[in-house]
Amino acid sequence: MGGLRLAPQALVCKNVAIDGDVQIGNGTVVHVGASIIAKNGPIIIGNNNIISERAVIINKHSTPLMIGDNNMLETEALVEGRGIGHKNVIQVRGKVVGTSTLGNNCVVGAMCTTDPSENVPDNTILFGNPQSRRTRSDNNSDYLFLHMKHLEYIHEMLPRYNHIIEAE
Amino acid sequence: MDTQPQLAALRTWPIEKLYYCDDCSQVRCQRCVIEEPAGYHCPNCLFDVPTASVRSEKNCCARNCFECPVCTHVLAVVEAESSRGDGGQPCFVLSCAVCLWDSREIGWEFEKSTGISAQIERMRAAQPAAKEYTSLLDYWRSVQRASATANSASHSFSTTNSFKHRLTSTGLQNNTSSNPPPYTAASYRRSADKPPLSDMAISDANYVSPAGNSRNSEPQRIRLHMKLSRRCRICHHILIKPESKAQATRFKIQLMAANFLPTVTLPRALPRGRGTMLGPLNTDPLRVGVTVPVVLRFTNPLYTEVEVSVVAGRMRDTQVEVLEPQFTLPPFADLWELDDDDYDVMSTPGTPSSETARRGIVHRQGNRIAIQIQVTPQASTSCLSIPLLVKCSHMDEMADIDAPESSASRRVVSNAIWVYVSLGAVN
Repeated sequence: MGGLRLAPQALVCKNVAIDGDVQIGNGTVVHVGASIIAKNGPIIIGNNNIISERAVIINKHSTPLMIGDNNMLETEALVEGRGIGHKNVIQVRGKVVGTSTLGNNCVVGAMCTTDPSENVPDNTILFGNPQSRRTRSDNNSDYLFLHMKHLEYIHEMLPRYNHIIEAE
Repeated sequence: MDTQPQLAALRTWPIEKLYYCDDCSQVRCQRCVIEEPAGYHCPNCLFDVPTASVRSEKNCCARNCFECPVCTHVLAVVEAESSRGDGGQPCFVLSCAVCLWDSREIGWEFEKSTGISAQIERMRAAQPAAKEYTSLLDYWRSVQRASATANSASHSFSTTNSFKHRLTSTGLQNNTSSNPPPYTAASYRRSADKPPLSDMAISDANYVSPAGNSRNSEPQRIRLHMKLSRRCRICHHILIKPESKAQATRFKIQLMAANFLPTVTLPRALPRGRGTMLGPLNTDPLRVGVTVPVVLRFTNPLYTEVEVSVVAGRMRDTQVEVLEPQFTLPPFADLWELDDDDYDVMSTPGTPSSETARRGIVHRQGNRIAIQIQVTPQASTSCLSIPLLVKCSHMDEMADIDAPESSASRRVVSNAIWVYVSLGAVN
C-alpha cells in the first residue's frame, strides 16, 4: 500500500485493494471489497464520496484520475476514465470507461456505460436498456442533504463491524 | 422438418405448453383452446378491477398508476416544492426514479397525493377547448330534448309525416315558442368585436387532446392486465382457471398434458445399478453412417399403469430402430414406497436369455423406464429430429358412467401422440 495518503477523516476499510499512488479526501468512505488501483498514474479522490463494495477505480492512464466531492459509486461501479466531477451517482454496475470523463450532477444508471471516449456534460442522465440519455431538469438540490445523512450513518456504523485503516 | 406430409398441419410444442382435456381425452394446444378473461388487475398496484369499471375506465388503472413518458417506468407520487410562486408550499408531483423526469416539466402539480386521476380530469376540464366542448354538448342536448317534447304532441302522425313537420318547422303552433335560441360560442359572449378565432386557436401550448395525441409528453395511465382462463374448443370443458385475485399465482383448475401423458426426456445420466454412481451417457456428436444408441426416458404421471408402444416414424435420411417397442410404465407412487429394486440391464453381466429380449429397456426406477433406440443418420444436418409415434393407454380410474351398472369394466383411455426428439447436429 505504498503511496496511499488518507485524509484524517477518511474511512477506508482494511479489506480494500489499494495499489499505487492514491490520495483520499476527508469524509470519503471506501467499503469492503472495493479496489482502487493506480496502475500507471495517480488517483486523487475528493471529499465525502461513498465508494461501495466491489467498486473498481482503476487508472491505466499516466495522467491523474480525479474524483470530485460528494459522489456516490454504488456496488460494482467501474471508473476507468479520466475523472468524474462532483455530486454524481454511478449506480450498480454503471461504468465510466475508456478515456471518458463525467461532469457534475450526472447519473449513470444501473448497467449503463459512457462511450469509450467522451466528456459527458453536466446534468446528464444515462438510463435504460437500450441505453439513452437525457438532461435533468432539476438542479440536484435535494441530493446533498440526503448524501450527508448517509455519510453520517456510515461513519457511525461502519467502524463497529469492519476493520478500518488507521490514519497516521 | 416434418417428415410425413399429413403432419405438416400440426405444430410441435414442448409438453409443458400443452393442455389435456379429460372429457375428450385428447391433447389440446394453445391454438385449440378458447381464451376468456377471468379477471382484470393493475400490474402496478395489484388492485382487482371489477369488470364493470374496466370499460368505463378504458382498460386503464383509475388510481395513481402512471407511466413515465420518457422511459415508461412507473411514476411515484412524491412531495416536492412548488415551482410557481410561493416556494414554501409543498405539492405533489409524479416522478420517475429511472430517468429522473417529473411532472413539473409539463406543469402538473397536485394538492393531494391521492386521486391523481380525478385531479388531472379537473385540470383538463378547465381548458378553454374542453369548456367549449361541454357547453356545445349541453346545447345540443337541450335541442334534442325540446324537439322530443314537441314531437310527443304529434301523436297520430306516421314517421315520415312527423319528420317532414320537423324539417319545415311550421307544423305545430307551440313549436316556435319552444325553439331554443341558437348557440353562441363562449368567446362571442365575452366581447362581440373580438374575433373568436384567436381565443379558440388550437396552439400547442394549450391544446390537450384526450385521445392520446400527447402520448410522448404526458404520463399515460397504466393499462390493466387480464388473467385468462382456457376452455377446450370442442367440449367447452375448462382446462385452465386461475384464481381471480391479482396476487394469487395458483390455479383452481389446471389440466396440463404433463399430468396425463408420459413425459419423454433424454436423460444426461442414469444411476448405475445399486450404487449411487451416476453413469454419464454418450454425448459424442453424431456422424453420418454411425449407429448410436440413444436413451429415452418415459415418466408416468398417473396413478395407474400405462401401456406404451413406441414406433419410429418414417424418415427420409435416418434409420431408427426401436429395440423395445412395447412396455408397461408402472404407476406413480410416493417416494417412500419405492423399493430399491431398480436394476440396470447393462450392468448385470449374468442376465438370463429371456432378458435379452428386453434389451431395449435400459433402466427402470419407480414410475420411469428408460429405453434404448438405435439411430443411424444418413445425411448431415444442423438439427436431427426424430418423430416417434407414442401410443399410451390406461384404464380409467373412475368407473365409466355410460356403461351399464352391472358391468365392472372400465373405459380404456388411449392417446396417440407424435413426439419429436431433437438430437443435435450431424456432421
